[in-house]
Amino acid sequence: MKIHYYPGCTLKEKTTALDLSTREAMLRLDVELVEPEGWSCCGAEYPLTEEKIIGLAAPARVMRQVRDEGGDVLITTCSFCYAVLKRTNYALKNDALKHKRINAFLKDDIKINPLTKEKTTGFEDYNGEVKVLHLLEYLRDYVGPPKIKSRLKRPFPGLKIAPYYGCRLLRPQKELGLDEPDNPHIFEEFLELMGCTAVDYPFKQECCGSYLSVSLPEAATEASYRILRAARMNGAQAVAVTCPLCFYNMDKRQDAIRESFLDFGGLPVLFFTQILAWALGVDKSALGLAEHAVPAAHLFEDKPRAEVTL
Amino acid sequence: MYEPQIMSFLCKWCTSAAADLAGTSRIHYASNAVNLRVMCSSRVDPQHILYSFREGADGVFIGGCHPGDCHYVEGNYKTLRRIALFKKMLPELGIEPQRVRLEWISAAEGKKYAQVMDEFTEQIRALGPLNFNEKALKREEQKNE
Amino acid sequence: MTKPQTKKTDKRVGLFVCHCGVNIAGVVDVEKVAQVMKDYPGVSFSANYVYMCSDPGQQMIIDTIKEKKLDSIIIAACSPTLHEKTFQEAARLAGLNPYQIEIANIREQDSWVHTDKDKATKKAIRIVKGHVEKAIRNESLEPIKVDVTRRALVIGGGISGIQAALDVADHGYEVLLVEKNPSIGGKMIQLSETFPTLDCSQCIMTPKMVEASRHPRIKLLTYHEVESVSGFVGNFKVRIKRKPRYVDATLCNLCGECEKVCPQVVPDEFNMGLSFRKAVYLPFPQAVPGTYTLDAANCLGLSPVRCGKCKDVCDKKAIDYDMKEKIIEEDVGGIIIATGYDLYTMQALGEYGGEKYEDVINGLEFERILSASGPTGGVIRRPSDGQVPKSIVFVQCSGSRDTEKHLPYCSKICCMYTAKHSMLYKHRVPDGQATVFYIDVRTGGKAFDEFYQRTVEEDKVLYIRGKVSKIIKEGDTLIVWGVDTLTGKKVEIEADMVVLAMAMVKADGVQDLLKRLKISTDIHGFLAEAHPKLRPVESLNAGFFLAGCALGPKDIPEAVSQASAAAAKIGDLFSQKELSHEPTVVPADDEKCSGCAICITMCPYGARSMDKERGVVVVNEVLCEGCGACAAACPCGAAQQRNQTDEQIFAMVSAMLRE
Repeated sequence: MKIHYYPGCTLKEKTTALDLSTREAMLRLDVELVEPEGWSCCGAEYPLTEEKIIGLAAPARVMRQVRDEGGDVLITTCSFCYAVLKRTNYALKNDALKHKRINAFLKDDIKINPLTKEKTTGFEDYNGEVKVLHLLEYLRDYVGPPKIKSRLKRPFPGLKIAPYYGCRLLRPQKELGLDEPDNPHIFEEFLELMGCTAVDYPFKQECCGSYLSVSLPEAATEASYRILRAARMNGAQAVAVTCPLCFYNMDKRQDAIRESFLDFGGLPVLFFTQILAWALGVDKSALGLAEHAVPAAHLFEDKPRAEVTL
Repeated sequence: MYEPQIMSFLCKWCTSAAADLAGTSRIHYASNAVNLRVMCSSRVDPQHILYSFREGADGVFIGGCHPGDCHYVEGNYKTLRRIALFKKMLPELGIEPQRVRLEWISAAEGKKYAQVMDEFTEQIRALGPLNFNEKALKREEQKNE
Repeated sequence: MTKPQTKKTDKRVGLFVCHCGVNIAGVVDVEKVAQVMKDYPGVSFSANYVYMCSDPGQQMIIDTIKEKKLDSIIIAACSPTLHEKTFQEAARLAGLNPYQIEIANIREQDSWVHTDKDKATKKAIRIVKGHVEKAIRNESLEPIKVDVTRRALVIGGGISGIQAALDVADHGYEVLLVEKNPSIGGKMIQLSETFPTLDCSQCIMTPKMVEASRHPRIKLLTYHEVESVSGFVGNFKVRIKRKPRYVDATLCNLCGECEKVCPQVVPDEFNMGLSFRKAVYLPFPQAVPGTYTLDAANCLGLSPVRCGKCKDVCDKKAIDYDMKEKIIEEDVGGIIIATGYDLYTMQALGEYGGEKYEDVINGLEFERILSASGPTGGVIRRPSDGQVPKSIVFVQCSGSRDTEKHLPYCSKICCMYTAKHSMLYKHRVPDGQATVFYIDVRTGGKAFDEFYQRTVEEDKVLYIRGKVSKIIKEGDTLIVWGVDTLTGKKVEIEADMVVLAMAMVKADGVQDLLKRLKISTDIHGFLAEAHPKLRPVESLNAGFFLAGCALGPKDIPEAVSQASAAAAKIGDLFSQKELSHEPTVVPADDEKCSGCAICITMCPYGARSMDKERGVVVVNEVLCEGCGACAAACPCGAAQQRNQTDEQIFAMVSAMLRE
């Protein structure tokens, strides 16, 4: 089965581990992920600011392409992309002004085939027809736990993982509706399904610092530190994330965290799709573990080691 | 100059009270309707509506309480069903169903009442005079001759 | 459908057109209206006057009726909602039946809303013509008389129910006080001290509870639940379920031996789950009635008997496993609903941990901790490890005043009880730190603000203006994330315990009963009063009165006031020799009735039924509320509403539309 998949630009450059593990995992579930032709960056945070109605044109175009390719579902793993795409749909369906402006802008779209130089124009209005799903949703609602369970080759024996939702995945509840922001359990259910033990800790929906790691790094360092520390204090052996920026802040910048906060002993950060892929039997080499700044490979043994040593 | 004539049946507890509130608030609206106050909108019989058309109304308005708020528990639900079915019949009688309007207006919605009256008057103006009575009376006069 | 003939009538209708100063006369040409109507068939007298509702105006009506021998009058003036009764009274003094009075609204629905004088005058004439057509067909009617059962039912045995029952009983009427729990007392008996006097709640309440149990005219029915109510005002039939207590209250002497041997241990609801009780238990030491109760749901088993230890040790032979549920039927004339409230569930506040953290508690739990007869003997200890907390954070508005996710309204009492809680904490743990997060501090009652100022100035409670965004736990400590909006800084406070002022919500398990009683509630499940300003303790359902927190959040003095008010309304009801029921009902004409029974299905009051022998419909006029739904549905015209018959409506329509 082929389903449309939106990787988002970061997954093609900085965090190919997320992209790779996702594809491999889904193949094991009989799903071939197909990217819509000529997709562009979703805009991450910025299209969602009030004034930038035009910023929503880019995600709208991506989804229009999916629709025109015959797809009615679009899967994504990155929290930012998920938020932008889904909220664009919501805006198009609920705000007449935004719908009018975005479609007016898109009407001027001209697609040029790079090979034949053929021009296509006159696209139909996009009205939010494509359903945007986060992979966690897709796994729970479309594939279903029974099927996933039946395909598991290596369920993690009780590995303690702290699920990290971050700020983008659950809020605003009205537009995203993935789960209850103050008491979510979709990620925990996923981890339990994989055979892991989901660790409860208070910082799972708190921001990791996001883009502050560029403009005000100390703030991002502290924000990420608190998350990792809380996860560790509650017994986690690793933190699982869905977002490449969270991964960057908590994994790639973990050195900076350890420098600023000497009491922090370190904690590996994983993508939830790496856990999924491994559990479904994907080879370790295809998980992209080399990208990690904090070694995580030792967690992917048949008997994962309980201690974290760095 | 054709001025639409509207017959209004208003329920005592809600819409008539709203009309009173519009009055107390001195909100002005079109004067094309005359009001008949009933205890409940469910008192309104389709016969009353047809009779109104016959007697010269170009439009008929029925005002009741919001669903769930009926003073007599469920009268407005009965009105809703009755009018819905009745409106389906109207085209067969050569009357545009838009000439009958059922609206839920609570006692606190004086402003809404005025707005609806203005709106409905314009709707009926656009539909033009019904002149139902002319044809009906003519036929009756012919019969009596 | 035949054209109604302009009715040849002997009726002598008098028309009085009011100027209402310039309110009407400034727009409507009242003189013209009176003039034009002089010649209308049926009108024997037509005049206009400045202020019909004034004394001279009223006198004019009375005099004219007598002089001109009028048998029906129309007052063209303001809305009938204002002066209908006034004019009916005037007419009655002149010997006219009140149902021969028509009020034509040419002010609120004409002169006040239209500016074109010509159109307004024409409309006024149409309106008046319509009323004339109705008037000449109006019948003289007498109100339907109904007996009153002078016995009241009070549903709910909290402070409101108890006060209402005492007041009605003191009036001299018998009262049934029904309470679903084994003892009366409600929430107030769970409190430790009450603001602003710091009276011991149980000390001021138990005398009332005892009085209620001993009052010769109060029949106390605890562990009972109201199943259904049928009938109508003055004549209700109530079905009450007696739940089996398995203990004979008249024999039980509270020795407590049964409790000692009972093997079943369950969380104690009276102590909000902070301690345990046995399956056979006394809810609290001052329970009224003073008897043990066997909680069958938590007993090891009664049929067959699996344990039997409690019965074995009972000297008084008070325990009887064979008690059964029983339905008793009672007749009452008026009902007071005082079913109280509950607190919003902490599970809904995921940001405060849901119900995860043992040391994050609500106000009632804290009351039990403060109470000398509570699970900690009045020493403030935290639930998790029994340590005395050195830092408590109090969070106001937990779930209240939140339009996003929770409840939009204010729960009224939390600011005061939080001040009380923090004050009492400081009195008992003087070196402890009390912090209160607030949005506002609402202290509108007598001596309330002074009480709050004491908390801040004398007891040095720290008040921070800001909401708490999250409560987390690190090791043994709770960390409260908030903000101080007055300095603009984020605040993180370490606390040993957090007390949430949870919103007051509708009482659990009562909605079903209210639906069956057809008592309307608002969108939050609180009882809906007849008029929010002027009729705060009456329901729109005749014979039902409302009191206490079942209506919405309030404090004890307000609840007591409402209870007494509701009791006074019962007094009004019972002091009447007989009740009058509006006669503008819809009788059934058996000559025209075809027995199709459509009208029976239309009636929400069950007023119509089939006389199977004669095959026609009969109407209980006392039950008929006069909505007219059946009248519109009857295919034979056998259901005609008194003084608003189809004939009248057709005539009115014709007069109002024809030029």
